[in-house]
Amino acid sequence: MNIDQVLLITALAAYITGTIVFIGYFLSRNPVMRTIGIPLAAIGCVAQFGELGARWIISGIWPLTNLYGSLSLFSAMGVLIFIAFALKYNLWFTGGFVLLIAAIALGYATTWNEGYMPAVPALQSYWIKVHVPLVISSYASFMVAFVVGALYLVKYSFEKYFGRKQTVAAAMTSAGAVNVPVSEYNADVGISDVRVTGLRNDTPNIAAAAARGDFWGMWLETLPSLAKLDILAYRIIAVGLPLLTIGIITGAWWAKEAWGAYWQWDPKETAALLSWIVYASYMHLHTRNVWRGYRCAWINVIGFATIIFCYLGVNIWISGLHSYKV
Amino acid sequence: MATHAAAPARSLYDEFLALFSNVLFAVSLFAVWGVLTLIGVVVDQGKDAAAYWNEYPAPVARLILRLHLDNIYHSPAYVGIIGLILVSLAVCTFKRVIPARLPPLRTVKIDAIPLNASIDVHGEEGAVRARIADFFASRGWQVRKREFGGEEWMFADRHNWARRGVLVAHIGFVIIAMGTTIYWWKGFQGTTAILTGQTITVPETGARIRLERFGYRFDPVQTKSGLVYQPIDYVSNVTVTGKDGVARQATIRVNDPLDVDGTLYYQATYGYGISFSLTKDGVPVPNAPNGPLKEGAGFQVADTPRAIQYTRFIGTIDRATGQPGADPRPNNPAVVLSAFDGDQPLGDILVPLGKSIDLGGGYKLTPAHYTLYSGLQYRYDPGVPLVGIGAFVLLSGLCIAFYLLPARLYVRITGTGRDWHVGLAATTVKGYDIFEEQFHDLVTALVSGPLGECRLHTNAEGPDSAGAPRSGGRAGWAGAP
Repeated sequence: MNIDQVLLITALAAYITGTIVFIGYFLSRNPVMRTIGIPLAAIGCVAQFGELGARWIISGIWPLTNLYGSLSLFSAMGVLIFIAFALKYNLWFTGGFVLLIAAIALGYATTWNEGYMPAVPALQSYWIKVHVPLVISSYASFMVAFVVGALYLVKYSFEKYFGRKQTVAAAMTSAGAVNVPVSEYNADVGISDVRVTGLRNDTPNIAAAAARGDFWGMWLETLPSLAKLDILAYRIIAVGLPLLTIGIITGAWWAKEAWGAYWQWDPKETAALLSWIVYASYMHLHTRNVWRGYRCAWINVIGFATIIFCYLGVNIWISGLHSYKV
Repeated sequence: MATHAAAPARSLYDEFLALFSNVLFAVSLFAVWGVLTLIGVVVDQGKDAAAYWNEYPAPVARLILRLHLDNIYHSPAYVGIIGLILVSLAVCTFKRVIPARLPPLRTVKIDAIPLNASIDVHGEEGAVRARIADFFASRGWQVRKREFGGEEWMFADRHNWARRGVLVAHIGFVIIAMGTTIYWWKGFQGTTAILTGQTITVPETGARIRLERFGYRFDPVQTKSGLVYQPIDYVSNVTVTGKDGVARQATIRVNDPLDVDGTLYYQATYGYGISFSLTKDGVPVPNAPNGPLKEGAGFQVADTPRAIQYTRFIGTIDRATGQPGADPRPNNPAVVLSAFDGDQPLGDILVPLGKSIDLGGGYKLTPAHYTLYSGLQYRYDPGVPLVGIGAFVLLSGLCIAFYLLPARLYVRITGTGRDWHVGLAATTVKGYDIFEEQFHDLVTALVSGPLGECRLHTNAEGPDSAGAPRSGGRAGWAGAP
């Protein structure tokens, strides 16, 4: 067994185990699980980059010339971006979902592994070392943003659900206003003499449910506030969109060198344009108070659907100039 | 009864400006653009009508052809949407982006701004003001003071220049659009297929290109799915004569185009030209066809309604099965010919090179030998430098707009004697949530730093000490002593 295969199996095992551990952390908020999950994510990520590097060294062929290579990079970059954001913004609660997607992507990638294949003439360019990593990194960013956006929608839905439930309960018991406790998120900030209130406490119904001892309420209460989730998603998309923009620009420049025109209306190009349009819309709408939050979370989800369509749908089902399936 | 002054009616021009500077309108255009683009991705573009009738159910095919969805990127709707977006971008830039990004210094209701803080300080007024101003200045904030109604306000701005990020991005788009327009105005492109030994003249430039040799390389690679023949290289060896009249040798490869007087020549395709021999009753029919045919070309059989089309070249016929093999390299080659009687297709036939087929009426056709040809694409695009500059400007604008957060702090100091109340509020171009933690950290540093030395007394319980949201969902914070 080659070293790259060993590293592949290591990465896959680390992601699967990490998924289980991080989902355990997500549900229990037991810091021990987070402590175990972080090195697993890091090991998987390092092993994957090592695997791509080993393939390059063993075969002498740049590893990102097929769907196997690009999906491998997608999952590795997804985990890397997750770790980077988690370190800065305490995003570890999303780890289970990010690692799950990374594991699925990597597992699916292995079905496209045909061994060491030399690159076709169109891919024999220095641009492949620029364009493909940029675009795949943008996809990975959007994947992490999607996870945060989806959690936003889950929390938002539960807030509405508890709101309806509470209204019914209040009507039945003629109870008055529920005493809303202070959200304890950010207790780890380390500033004991300053207390942040107001903006963070944007899910009073979940807080009330948590105070009543409702399991889901208590669990959701440990998530960041909706406002914070929205900002986190925005920050990650603010990384992904410039990457996608540079990716499209470098791809256009490469196309000009290879095919003679920087824009040929190829399905892959236009699908990437579609994703760009969706995320550009997100960025425009995020400047508006009424669109920030719930509606932008949906645009985030739609955006990632267009990314999957652009990445896998077009590669696999629609023929065009990008039929070599990178 | 109160009377209301009638609002002055807006002119059509103002209505136009209001509509096109609206962000929601721009995003609506984006949505339409996105839908049209999605249709273009899903529906094959630029095919013959017959292809749509074959591929899709009849109602869908009819819809595609009637609505011109088969060439959507060049349809009036698509070009119109892009035009509207550019207009919206321009109007939005001048009507909204430029004026709105440079807000004037003015007083605000501190408590009405969601990010606010209040601190009670004991000390000399001058010292308090100076310490606050120095604190923000030392952290890179641009501090300005203004007097309103005899009261001094302090304004601290950060990344003020970055308020122009969106403007820079929009300018980038405009430059890209200019570069593209220059191509439409002055540029051209075309394709040509040159047989080995043939010389062609490019009509737009007058450049002469002779294909000396076309070469390719396919490597057999054993994969998990079986043996595949992977293309490795395509190369055209040409002799080019440009405007200077000097002939020179050159090679054209994929990813390595040839520049002749500013026009670039790209390796696009290649193929096998086939020389056919047609006989009638054993006697050669001259010029039928005239010269080697390229794939897709055909000829009419003289004095008959029959036509023959050279459809495809097959590199290798498997000797065991007689069927096309996987190796694309010519090794026992054959051609696929399609026969027509008038417009009616009669069928396809696989004919090895050197073998004859009977066309009826005494006619016999033999694909004799092949000659490689190279398909080149050429393009002259004087707009490229502008497009490159525009892309750089666009990216710069995006990075400025996304990664820098222009913010303004409003500081109002009120009180008498040695007891002062410091009111602080913050606004940003991206709302309040995004700055909440930084505001929190900033005020904490202020409280624990310079103001702490002023024997600070903060209001221990904030107006929302119970932790419940304030009325109207506003936020604030209060520091403990």
